[in-house]
Amino acid sequence: MSYLVDNYSAAIFGAISRIVNNEPVAQEVLQDCFMKFWDKIDQYDPQKGRFFTWMINIARNLAIDRLRSREMKKEEKTDDIGNYVTEIGGAGFSQQNVDGIGIKEVLNNLREEERFVLEMAYFKGYTQSEISEEFDIPLGTVKTRFRMALMHMRSFLKE
Amino acid sequence: MKTEEYISSGVLELYVLDQLSTQERKEVEKRIAENDEIREEVDQIERSIEVLAFNTAIEIPGDLKNSIKVQSIQKDALPKDKEVIPLYLKYAVAASVLIAITASILAFDYWNKWQTTKSRLAELIAQNYQYAETLNTVNQELLDAQSSVAIMNSTEFDRIPMNGTDNSPSSAAIVYWNQTSREVYLSIQNLENLSRDQQYQLWAIIDGKPVDAGVFDSNNTGLLLEMKNVSKKPAAFAVTIEPRGGSENPTLETMQVIGNV
Repeated sequence: MSYLVDNYSAAIFGAISRIVNNEPVAQEVLQDCFMKFWDKIDQYDPQKGRFFTWMINIARNLAIDRLRSREMKKEEKTDDIGNYVTEIGGAGFSQQNVDGIGIKEVLNNLREEERFVLEMAYFKGYTQSEISEEFDIPLGTVKTRFRMALMHMRSFLKE
Repeated sequence: MKTEEYISSGVLELYVLDQLSTQERKEVEKRIAENDEIREEVDQIERSIEVLAFNTAIEIPGDLKNSIKVQSIQKDALPKDKEVIPLYLKYAVAASVLIAITASILAFDYWNKWQTTKSRLAELIAQNYQYAETLNTVNQELLDAQSSVAIMNSTEFDRIPMNGTDNSPSSAAIVYWNQTSREVYLSIQNLENLSRDQQYQLWAIIDGKPVDAGVFDSNNTGLLLEMKNVSKKPAAFAVTIEPRGGSENPTLETMQVIGNV
């Protein structure tokens, strides 16, 4: 189990951090995540996908749940939402400097609109139709952009 | 829908990001199982997400890493789910406890009974041994009696009655002597009881000299006593009282019975 922590915690923490955009909360969510991995590990089915996909989806769902419950609280207080523009650079994280280089490399050649859809879908937990409605982009375009963004990732696989 | 169309529809990306409804997900899973091309595409999408995740990784503080590891170890030691126990489970637990108690009581009861049975069995086995021993003794006595009777009735044995002397007129004993085998047996008819340090001694008078034919106790119960073989035909047999173990020469004053061959 400590193998999982050593090898995957940073990747998972990266995803969680960019979703909740708050380091102490991200740390909490990360701990919850690993507790959930231990609990549910016997439910993982290799037929349905890779192990990392299984982990990252648990992490993303926990983080999105946390984000939304926090947004709800904020909404009650200030009635002011919608300013959660998350940059893939991940502002406000002390440990991100090293990783920053890698991020750029991967996302460098991404077109702005593809990058935006990827951010919304991957880091904000928006569904494609939510992105389409929220930002007034045709659903087909959202799909294509998201696909293109992932295809771009794929080119790094082959290297 | 053709495979290429299906792949480019974007549903697989949603599948990998876990953004489908249960029904949609089942549909995709079915297609993955049926179509290797789709399976390969899903695998590629998954790897793309991995690239994204590892390239947007943020190293976590070492102490957080350790605390997660410690938590996971503690978690392994604890029961997996700390969910609220449903009522039926509580009843089940209560029932199990009741069954366990009942079983224990029954077990103790049976154990007690078993112990009693065990000691009774031991008694019976001991009794059995006793009976077997008694039977053996009786058998042996019967065999002795049979061989005694055989000797008494045998024509090969001379029967020499010995009558009481003046020392003890009422005493009587009989010697059976086999001329061929030289065997000597003695049947006590009536002899007085002796003190512990005394024994009777049988003598065969051969050529005018007394020859030792063995000692015996006064309280002998057997029908016939086997004595020492007498090699030559004696003139007479006599019994004297001697110190325990017998003497080399007879104490003639104590002679109890005598009979001529």
